[in-house]
Amino acid sequence: MFNKLLIANRGEIAVRILRACRELGIETVAVYSEADRRAMHVRYADEAYLLGPAPSRESYLRGDKIIEIALQSGAQAVHPGYGFLAERQSFAQACLDAGLVFVGPRPSAIAAMGDKMTARNTVAAAGVQVVPGTEGEGALGDADLLAVAPGIGFPLLVKATAGGGGKGMREVRSLEEMPHLLEAARREAESSFGDGSVYLEKLVEGAHHIEFQVLADQHGNVIHLGERECSLQRRHQKLLEESPSPFLDEDLRRRMGAVAVKAAQAVDYVNAGTIEFLVDKERNFYFLEMNTRLQVEHPITEMVTGVDIVVEQLRIARGRQLSYAQDDIAFSGAAIECRINAEDPYNGFLPSTGVIEHSIPPTGPGIRVDTGVYPGFEISRYYDPLIAKLIAWGETRGQAILRMRRALEEYRIVGVHTNIPFHQTMMDSHRFLAGQYDTRFVEERFSMEELEEGKHTFPEIAAVIATLVAHRQAEHSAQFVQRGERDTSNWKWVGRWERMHR
Amino acid sequence: MKYIVTVNEREYTVEIVDERRALLDGRVVEVDFEPVGGQPLYSLLADGKSFEAYVYPGEEALQVLLMGQLYQVTVEDEREKRLRAAAGGRVAESGEYHLKAPMPGLVVAIPVQDGQAVEKGQALVILESMKMQNELKAPRAGVVGRIRVRERDSVEQRQTLLSVQ
Repeated sequence: MFNKLLIANRGEIAVRILRACRELGIETVAVYSEADRRAMHVRYADEAYLLGPAPSRESYLRGDKIIEIALQSGAQAVHPGYGFLAERQSFAQACLDAGLVFVGPRPSAIAAMGDKMTARNTVAAAGVQVVPGTEGEGALGDADLLAVAPGIGFPLLVKATAGGGGKGMREVRSLEEMPHLLEAARREAESSFGDGSVYLEKLVEGAHHIEFQVLADQHGNVIHLGERECSLQRRHQKLLEESPSPFLDEDLRRRMGAVAVKAAQAVDYVNAGTIEFLVDKERNFYFLEMNTRLQVEHPITEMVTGVDIVVEQLRIARGRQLSYAQDDIAFSGAAIECRINAEDPYNGFLPSTGVIEHSIPPTGPGIRVDTGVYPGFEISRYYDPLIAKLIAWGETRGQAILRMRRALEEYRIVGVHTNIPFHQTMMDSHRFLAGQYDTRFVEERFSMEELEEGKHTFPEIAAVIATLVAHRQAEHSAQFVQRGERDTSNWKWVGRWERMHR
Repeated sequence: MKYIVTVNEREYTVEIVDERRALLDGRVVEVDFEPVGGQPLYSLLADGKSFEAYVYPGEEALQVLLMGQLYQVTVEDEREKRLRAAAGGRVAESGEYHLKAPMPGLVVAIPVQDGQAVEKGQALVILESMKMQNELKAPRAGVVGRIRVRERDSVEQRQTLLSVQ
């Protein structure tokens, strides 16, 4: 049983893991890049060691160095968090080879779920439904694809095997238009990836992206902690999650939960993991993939179940039995998570870098903020733009929304642009309030500009505030010219002026 | 001082009478205005009602973020307004446009060439920052000139990348 652990991550998730260790009395070792010397996880950990320069591949992706530091510092276990090395079989294996406990699944399970084809075949063999398609059958020629297409059913998607980001992807509505679209997809795939191989996949229309949290110990116990609704995405990035899903009923939840457990058992899964499903309008559900790690949005599950998932992870890794049986898991209330990103929602969600000059996170009943930043800390270009996760819990979904609304308005961050106004607009959206949204909602039917009917606006107040700001600036610049008439030094004025225009 | 203020294309007149009073379209508003937590965050008490807003300087207007909504606000005094009217409106459609990096990052691709004609909205530079690729687009049609960066270059915020004439 280990009592000293290295956290191979940064940001809010490193802080989250540190907190769990603190509560359990486990000593902690942080690692950091040159850009993160002043990061919160470095300040909070018992020990901290430098990995290397800011770019991830020279620091947080240096598995060899991380293991070296673990051994030198006397840590007996490694928690990978999410991202970086969390889903690399080779890293998990290297930890085990070095005699370190890897807080996560066995390397074989990471490998089985990491390869899409193997994952699909493994869970399909265990009787779990997958999205119908030809992925995993190798590179088929046009004649073969045309022959199997009617069996999959239209509409379907032609997708590039080497693809990503929608390149080499075509939506096909009928067999007649398919040859032409196949050719176009291959051409685009060839020019984008140098590989014209494509496969077919059934297009799930009006789909919901719903995932189930599972926990499995080393003694064969596997349970699920219910679902998270993750359909609100932009460019395949999740923005907001909630639990329970407004789309599921008790029967579907029970059936999907049972399938999630079965999928985890199919790869002898151990520790915390997440099974992602696509659910169509008729409530048919299909296995999409398994994330073999702790998930960004795990706090909403913690809020509705009361289970501390990271503490359970550590318990499992220490070889103990799960604290809960399936029947012990009861769901209470509703939770929503808004990912607060350093992005400007009024400017195409462009990332925003800079020093956090001022920050007042919301607090009060039902509010939780998981963050790794503080005033004075710089949001750099090297890592993802997640500043904080704002989580609201309520006895009902309605109460959670009301709390989230007031918390979003309370949250003050100066120094970088954030997507808080996006979440505020979402919390006012009638479709969100009604729980009627799918994976295309943000990109196709949501707008920052169009206000919902009846929404109160304050143009006159905006006019007064802008005028007062402009008036002060005009006065200050007049003062700037009049040498010696000022109450502070020229340099101070220049500094303030520049800060205004940053 | 009297200002002509345009909020999302609607015009108001705002007169600053003194430290505590403003006239909004001729109506007296008691104001108490304080920056909080360092600019650009401001607190306004207007006739006792409390508001807080972020005010960012934009290209042509001030951007006021208030209660989760963004207002584009231009503030001009009467002289500026007359000058602009005499000049025949905005001049943004002519002259050279310098594309600047909105954030520090890595140039992933430059899908245009020197001398190439581009449409409004066409991607000029793909810049990677915070693990995301961002398309920087042409704000108007024109001809690309003076490309100052190459692929794989690291650029600083506000560094000029290329021009559109």
